[in-house]
Amino acid sequence: MSDTPTNPPDDERIIARSRFREALIRPELGGIAGIILVFFFFLLTAADSGMFGPAGVMNWSIVSAQFAIIAVGACLLMIAGEFDLSVGSMIGFAGIIIAILSVQMGWPMWMAIITTFVLCTALGAVNGWLVIKTGLPSFIVTLAFLYILRGLTIFAAIATTRKTIIGGVRDVAEGDWLAAIFGGKILTGFFQWMGDTGLIEVFERGTRKGQPVVDGIPMLIVWALVLIVFGHILLTRTRFGNWIFASGGDAQSARYTGVPVNRVKILMFMFTAFCATVFATCQVMEFGSAGADRGLLKEFEAIISVVIGGALLTGGYGSVIGAALGALIFGVVQQGLFFAGVESSLFRVFLGVILLLAVILNTYIRRMITGEK
Amino acid sequence: MSDKSKPIVQMKNIEKHFGAVIALAGVSLDVFPGECHCLLGDNGAGKSTFIKALAGVHKPTKGEIIFEGKPMEFDRPRDAIAAGIATVYQDLAMIPLMSVSRNFFMGNEPIKKLGPIGFFDHETANRITMEEMGKMGISLRGPDQAVGTLSGGERQTVAIARAVHFGAKVLILDEPTSALGVRQTANVLATVDKVRKQGIAVVLITHNVRHAMAVGDRFTVLNRGQTLGTAERGNITPEELQDMMAGGAELATLEGSLGGTV
Amino acid sequence: MTSLIRKLVLATAVVAAPLLAATTAAAEGEKYILVSHAPDSDSWWNTIKNGIALAGEQMGVEVEYRNPPTGDLADMARIIEQAAASGPNGIITTLADFDVLSGPIRAAVDQGINVIIMNSGTAEQTREVGALMFVGQPEYDAGYAAGLRAKGDGITSFVCVNHVISNTVVAERCRGFADGLGIELGNSMIDSGQDPAEIKNRVIAHLNANPDTDAVLTLGPTSADPTILALEEMGLAGDIYFGTFDLGENIVKGIKDGIIQWGIDQQPFLQAYLPVVILTNYDRYGVLPGNNINSGPGFVTADGLEKVEMFAGEYR
Repeated sequence: MSDTPTNPPDDERIIARSRFREALIRPELGGIAGIILVFFFFLLTAADSGMFGPAGVMNWSIVSAQFAIIAVGACLLMIAGEFDLSVGSMIGFAGIIIAILSVQMGWPMWMAIITTFVLCTALGAVNGWLVIKTGLPSFIVTLAFLYILRGLTIFAAIATTRKTIIGGVRDVAEGDWLAAIFGGKILTGFFQWMGDTGLIEVFERGTRKGQPVVDGIPMLIVWALVLIVFGHILLTRTRFGNWIFASGGDAQSARYTGVPVNRVKILMFMFTAFCATVFATCQVMEFGSAGADRGLLKEFEAIISVVIGGALLTGGYGSVIGAALGALIFGVVQQGLFFAGVESSLFRVFLGVILLLAVILNTYIRRMITGEK
Repeated sequence: MSDKSKPIVQMKNIEKHFGAVIALAGVSLDVFPGECHCLLGDNGAGKSTFIKALAGVHKPTKGEIIFEGKPMEFDRPRDAIAAGIATVYQDLAMIPLMSVSRNFFMGNEPIKKLGPIGFFDHETANRITMEEMGKMGISLRGPDQAVGTLSGGERQTVAIARAVHFGAKVLILDEPTSALGVRQTANVLATVDKVRKQGIAVVLITHNVRHAMAVGDRFTVLNRGQTLGTAERGNITPEELQDMMAGGAELATLEGSLGGTV
Repeated sequence: MTSLIRKLVLATAVVAAPLLAATTAAAEGEKYILVSHAPDSDSWWNTIKNGIALAGEQMGVEVEYRNPPTGDLADMARIIEQAAASGPNGIITTLADFDVLSGPIRAAVDQGINVIIMNSGTAEQTREVGALMFVGQPEYDAGYAAGLRAKGDGITSFVCVNHVISNTVVAERCRGFADGLGIELGNSMIDSGQDPAEIKNRVIAHLNANPDTDAVLTLGPTSADPTILALEEMGLAGDIYFGTFDLGENIVKGIKDGIIQWGIDQQPFLQAYLPVVILTNYDRYGVLPGNNINSGPGFVTADGLEKVEMFAGEYR
């Protein structure tokens, strides 16, 4: 190594770009632009509808957080080059398993939750293993699981209880330490204080008279934030993150440089299943019941959030922050249209338009970054 | 640096069968440190199969690979990489969607410990990438520039620089110039020359005799899964090499009709 | 870049214009929101939409219809929370699953919003969530009455085609029917799904597998319409005993043609119309009926079909 580093002359073909432009051109730009647009729209149309009051903010925040939880998993998996269409069915499945183990079989709640997490991530691993071993597109393999899991869920529910909704979870969860991590609320004292000082409205009557209308941050939102931060750091700041990009960008190239592509992909399938189980557990703990039809079409909602957030459907490119912004856009639009009093059947029109605009903008940005043709 | 008088790699009588097809029927080759050994042959001659045996992608059906004096068996590409045999494939060199520095360190990410957790050390990665690219004469907008924005020749150069940086003793280049323009080809061949001068053994696969003659020290010609012999630089003319690759007679007639331009 | 953003803004404005126009059509005055559990595909709820629209027009109040697009009850809970946050004068909602919906409904009540439970729910549950009243058909009782009637007609076995397997309240109809007949429900209830072709073929498959089935009970037009087709295809139309819950155009025609013996009309129009009227009058004058209102069951048979026929699927 005797060469001294020589600074090559600047290439006259590289056009100098301003710092502002450099900062602007990033995967999340589409998501950021979408957020601005969506909030601008709803501030104009629904400002006085309670959408931006405490209860309204909490309402669309929860819905967005739900989307975000599954979007983080779907995002990392999509960047690793695979899809999981069984997310929605996994949500239904995980919920019913928790309910059967705790209510029907009388297990303590923490044990039921942990067992469900183990079982569902194992199923995620099976998904991934099948995709790797058969070489089939993950689209097909997970589509099969979409049906298998949904069918098993309904069967298990009917076989144990003759109903497709299993209630009574709240009673079993009472006082359970792990259940509180999924179904509890934090900062309740702070919100009570805000209610007492008149910063937010309080209930006017009933058993909760005097309590604030928003009495804390649900763990659902905490989970969403934790998963977003975890996913973002994993993707951008770790060696494993580089492997995720590489596996999705070009699996063969990645293998040739020694990236354990199979392990990366299977782990991402497991993480997606984990996220779906978090979603299901939070939902079951909040509502106190599990339903066999929970989570219908949620896989597409996750994928839409991820795509709005700038990820490339074919893998190798994307951002967790972008996916989180996508989830926020999705949640705000879905709930905001109700606030704005728009006929609810038009929600899908609006969503479709947003999806289309976001994808067009994202493609444009991505080409600028990656030089794709 | 290794002893230049002893071959770093010896491949003896390598045979490879794919079912009923005999892709390689006993090919031998040795490579010395610091030399550029060109492997020539027409399409389908078995060049790619041969070097994939060396790179650990295919296991030879028969034959022996001796690396640094010891017989080796590579089960996976990673084994070959770990031993110091790096391969730069024609179109699989880089991932276009990822930045240069992420590509450069793909599979070998530098780690910065923060408590018990190891993070990707972007600072180090970016610095080394810029240094190494500078050495190879490529000017980047920044380490986070996507590889997709680089030209084909630049991508090959990044891939070669990567292999050298991570301590390759033997560098296999699979048709690095086949899809490149004149100027980019010259750049890549200049890079090969730099690498050779660092004492690294280079195995250059090509079917372009002129490219081979530009940097090669020795030339081995493959035809239909067999070696047609190894020649040293200065002992063979480009025309003779061309004839050996294509099996002489037929090409002579073809060349006549094309006015000697091939 | 800036031109692109400008284009996007423009495109959004173009798309948003009709949506905005839709919102301004609302009248001044009181606002009531009806939240249902039905997916978009359930045509039975058209009557409900027509009912609240008519009541809104007559009373001079603003009415809105909301539902979870896929019928996911967890999504419905969010919609109730959303409705409460938007500060209406009253919410009219179904209570399809007590566990899921009681929390959000109770929170709405506690925020000072008047709530009337319609369609699904029981008197006891209505009291428990603090709603003003229940307007609807007690499902188990309706099923039981239908069971007694069928028993009188000599029926001993049946299949119940359930297209909303997730709705525990609707399943009560089947249980009531079985109890009315005095037999075990057992495997008589099939989950047919929502797709007409699937429903039709599941009915055919079930009847082929169980040829000794005396009677078919469907739970609404979604399952009744394909079942009529299935029976026609099997040559059983008019032969097998066929009763159904709820009305619709094809059901009325089936009754007229003698394929369907009776339809149980829970009169959805009343379930939508009455709550709006009641809430408006309660808000304006403080008057409130003293008890729950049973909008059904009423048996609709081949006699006196005229009015039913004229308004089937619209107000009936």
